[in-house]
Amino acid sequence: MSLLRFFRRRQWDEERARELAAYLEIETAENVSRGMSAEEARTAAHCKLGNPTLLREEIYRMNSLGFIETLWQDIRYGARMLRKAPGFTAVAVLTLALGIGANTAIFSMVDWLMFQQLPVQDPKALTYLGFVRGGPLHTDVQFSFPEYQQITAECGAQFDGMAAMAFGGTSGGQSGPDGLTFQGKTHPVQTYFVTGNFFSVLGLKPAMGRFFAPQEGDSAGADPITVLSWEYWLSRFQGDPDIIGKSVAINGHVVTIVGVGPKGFFGPTPLLHIQAYLPLGMLVIDAGTRRDFLGRSDARSLHIFARLKHGTTADQIRPALDVVSQHLLARYPRPDEKLNGMRAVPLRPPGMVSSESGNPLARTAAIFIILGVLVLMLACVNVANLLLVRATARRAEMAVRAALGAARGRLIRQLLTESLMLAFLGCVAGIATGLVATRALGAIHLPTILPVSFDFRFNWLVFAGALSATLLSSLLAGIAPALQAARPNLNAVLHDAGRSLTSRRQRLRSLMVTAQVAGSLSLLIVAGLFTRSLQSARQADVGFDPSHVSNLTMDPHQVGYTDAKGQAFYRELLERARALPGVESASLAAWIPMGDTEFGGPIDVNGIEPIKGQPHPSAHYNAVSPGYFHTMGIPIEQGRDLLESDSTSSPHVALINRAMAEKYWPGQDALGRQFSVPDEHNRPIQIVGVVRNFRMVDPYSPIEPAYFVPLTQHYFATVTLHIRSAGSDSGVIRQVLTLVDSVEPTMPVYTSSMTEALSGINGYFLFRLGAILTGILGGLGLVLAIVGVYGVMSYSVSQRTHEIGIRMALGAQRGQILTLVGRQGLWLVTAGLAIGVLVAFAVGQLIRDFLVGIGPADAPTYLVVSALLAAVAAAACMVPARSALRVDPILALRNE
Amino acid sequence: MPKRGAHPLQGEVLQGTLDLLVLQTLVLGPAHGHTIAYAIEHRSDDVLQVEHGSLYPALHRLEDRKWIASFWGTSENNRKARYYRLTPAGRKQLAVQTSRWEQLVNAINRVLRPQSE
Repeated sequence: MSLLRFFRRRQWDEERARELAAYLEIETAENVSRGMSAEEARTAAHCKLGNPTLLREEIYRMNSLGFIETLWQDIRYGARMLRKAPGFTAVAVLTLALGIGANTAIFSMVDWLMFQQLPVQDPKALTYLGFVRGGPLHTDVQFSFPEYQQITAECGAQFDGMAAMAFGGTSGGQSGPDGLTFQGKTHPVQTYFVTGNFFSVLGLKPAMGRFFAPQEGDSAGADPITVLSWEYWLSRFQGDPDIIGKSVAINGHVVTIVGVGPKGFFGPTPLLHIQAYLPLGMLVIDAGTRRDFLGRSDARSLHIFARLKHGTTADQIRPALDVVSQHLLARYPRPDEKLNGMRAVPLRPPGMVSSESGNPLARTAAIFIILGVLVLMLACVNVANLLLVRATARRAEMAVRAALGAARGRLIRQLLTESLMLAFLGCVAGIATGLVATRALGAIHLPTILPVSFDFRFNWLVFAGALSATLLSSLLAGIAPALQAARPNLNAVLHDAGRSLTSRRQRLRSLMVTAQVAGSLSLLIVAGLFTRSLQSARQADVGFDPSHVSNLTMDPHQVGYTDAKGQAFYRELLERARALPGVESASLAAWIPMGDTEFGGPIDVNGIEPIKGQPHPSAHYNAVSPGYFHTMGIPIEQGRDLLESDSTSSPHVALINRAMAEKYWPGQDALGRQFSVPDEHNRPIQIVGVVRNFRMVDPYSPIEPAYFVPLTQHYFATVTLHIRSAGSDSGVIRQVLTLVDSVEPTMPVYTSSMTEALSGINGYFLFRLGAILTGILGGLGLVLAIVGVYGVMSYSVSQRTHEIGIRMALGAQRGQILTLVGRQGLWLVTAGLAIGVLVAFAVGQLIRDFLVGIGPADAPTYLVVSALLAAVAAAACMVPARSALRVDPILALRNE
Repeated sequence: MPKRGAHPLQGEVLQGTLDLLVLQTLVLGPAHGHTIAYAIEHRSDDVLQVEHGSLYPALHRLEDRKWIASFWGTSENNRKARYYRLTPAGRKQLAVQTSRWEQLVNAINRVLRPQSE
């Protein structure tokens, strides 16, 4: 059948009509010639031909593309049915939207964390070099410039380019980013110091201006130029088209902007947005970087990128690297670690996160994928369930349509069309949900001074995946009821209007309710575990009193202060801050407990020899001002606080925490003992006091040894002013900001209350995020379970109206009816709960490491959550059961 | 697309049979529907009583398969009528169907009268 004829079938129909008319004319004429009257002749002709309308219809049908024609009918009819049942439609579409949307958002995040490639040329060939220490993740990836030069000389030819780079700020011994001054205002900027070939190794082209020349960066402080990232150029310089050639100051050093990087390139690191690139030699403008660092083999602050040659793999290059690493270790020994040799480690998106086993991101991703798939399954089951219930409710309708002559195939297709229309609506709503959720995830605010970027994008591929999963499941869900509905026992259905229950379908529905309760319970338990974990992390004694403490972090080095000038600045600031009204105490520290940074390193303790193969004795440390422990509310258990008199000219002193005293001087008095830091000074440090343990690194690990030295003896440019006050945090912060402004107007200050600071990435952030995300998913699961249980139960009651009527007429008591109806639902719920507990237990093993203060089989969580779900499910059972009590026996019996 | 074949001639004559008869009729030359219907009736000695209308869907189907072609002409008694003629493809098809029909008839005959001849 040609398509052409399909569109011309009206014309064809007319042609046929003419042909049939011609037959009638000829036959009538012949009949007349045989001697019939005109009237008789026409009647006889019609008899001979048959019904012309039927014939035309038959030919018309032969000409039509039946599928398209009936599809359109199906769609119109389906739309009418969906409009007629707005409650069912809304619930089904909402369910699908939540399932698809939640999964799209989760997968978008996972995709970004795990699979997205760097926007550079052939990202898969990029590797970074590192000494392997056991597992692939335990690598030592820090090199010095002489080491970089030797590696390039020995095996640079085996690669398609090799570049070295160092983070500005943190790696220079600071704890915060650098500062960029433009038009009299200084703001923190994340810098990256790179060798001249960095951009060409990545294969990037500048959006404006130029990148660095190969030799730029090879000598200290010689190339005062910078390249901005596209996004930073947009936000800080409003996309100024004439930016090239303008000058800014970085840490007070004037540099010229020579280029702007390509759009969408945030740097090669995970999360951290690199805003300005400078030649490697300019690292000297960072505090704590020595002018001669390029020549020092112990200044190991560089990472090395190496691009594999086309067609070679990281494994093929290993023998060459083994040779190089032997030479390297012989010439520049790395004393404290047992290293296995150098490897080229693939650069995993979105940066140096390797996706091999043990990667915490991989496991987090796995957990959320599991939870997301659970939600999707629940959604699918729910829709399937709704369709089943509805199909049964429409048995009479289907029977009537079949009795009126609808073909079985048509009925099936009609039902499937309706499922598909639902899926389509759900898909549209799912896109909306997914977009909103993805944006919400991307907008998560991290309380940190570092420029962190979440670049989640709505992932259409993922969306297509979730969509096809739902489509498939709603089709599967639609097929069973469609097949059954289309094979109605006409007689039975039309006669008793479907009084008898088909037990097979009932069983399928029961199975689904059980699955829903099980899935929902496991989601809720995981959510409960995360919430409990957050609670216990929050309640755990951090060892200091974070309330009423405000933090003001600043870095005079960002505006070009020398160390001496910085010291004077802080002295003045501290004095004047202490004099402010409402300030109880004020002090300085190089870093905030559980903040963005931590300092730690090896120490030498008299009498403790480092054992070969064992980690060198080490401790965290902080540089603080006198009064720090008072401000933080940490009791000094032994000895004295630091004093103003502890200065550069007096002996070096430190306070230590109880953990350090117990670890290195067990059972002895640590006071008066000495230790030293194996650096260039190697000065003995005398212990003058011991403080109570408090949390410094994160809220859950065991407390490790730590010591506290005076800022006057160990100066750091980035310092946080802690202020304990009686009044509101914001009021105090305002006062101090005015104070800073009067001393140094261009000084950038990052403010937070201590409670806010503790919500950071190293504090409670991950716990809170986990609790919120799983809470949302658990809530989704709960809603889906309620809808599922309620739907099936109320349907089952409506089907048993007749039976209930008879029982009541025969004298059944209300309690008996309630039991009768409720028992079935409660059985399903109980079975679902039992399975759910088992599933949750399995998932719990996966998240075990993310939990603080509770185990993965935390009994209270299991009990409370199960009880909650049981109560909710019982309520969902009981509402329809109670409506069964309102059945009027007379009506019920007469009705049928 | 559902196959809704022509109504059987009368009783249980197979659908393909009507096609065969139509094609065979047209071997003699072009004819219009009325003539074809009567030709089938007469040549079967009135055994095959055709409801003449059922012929038209069959004609349509055959034309659709390009076994016959149609044109408007004038009938013996000067009336406009739609004429059908056999196409080369139709001639080939007729040969195929005829031999298949004969095979079928022979087979059935052998079953019904195994001892005869």
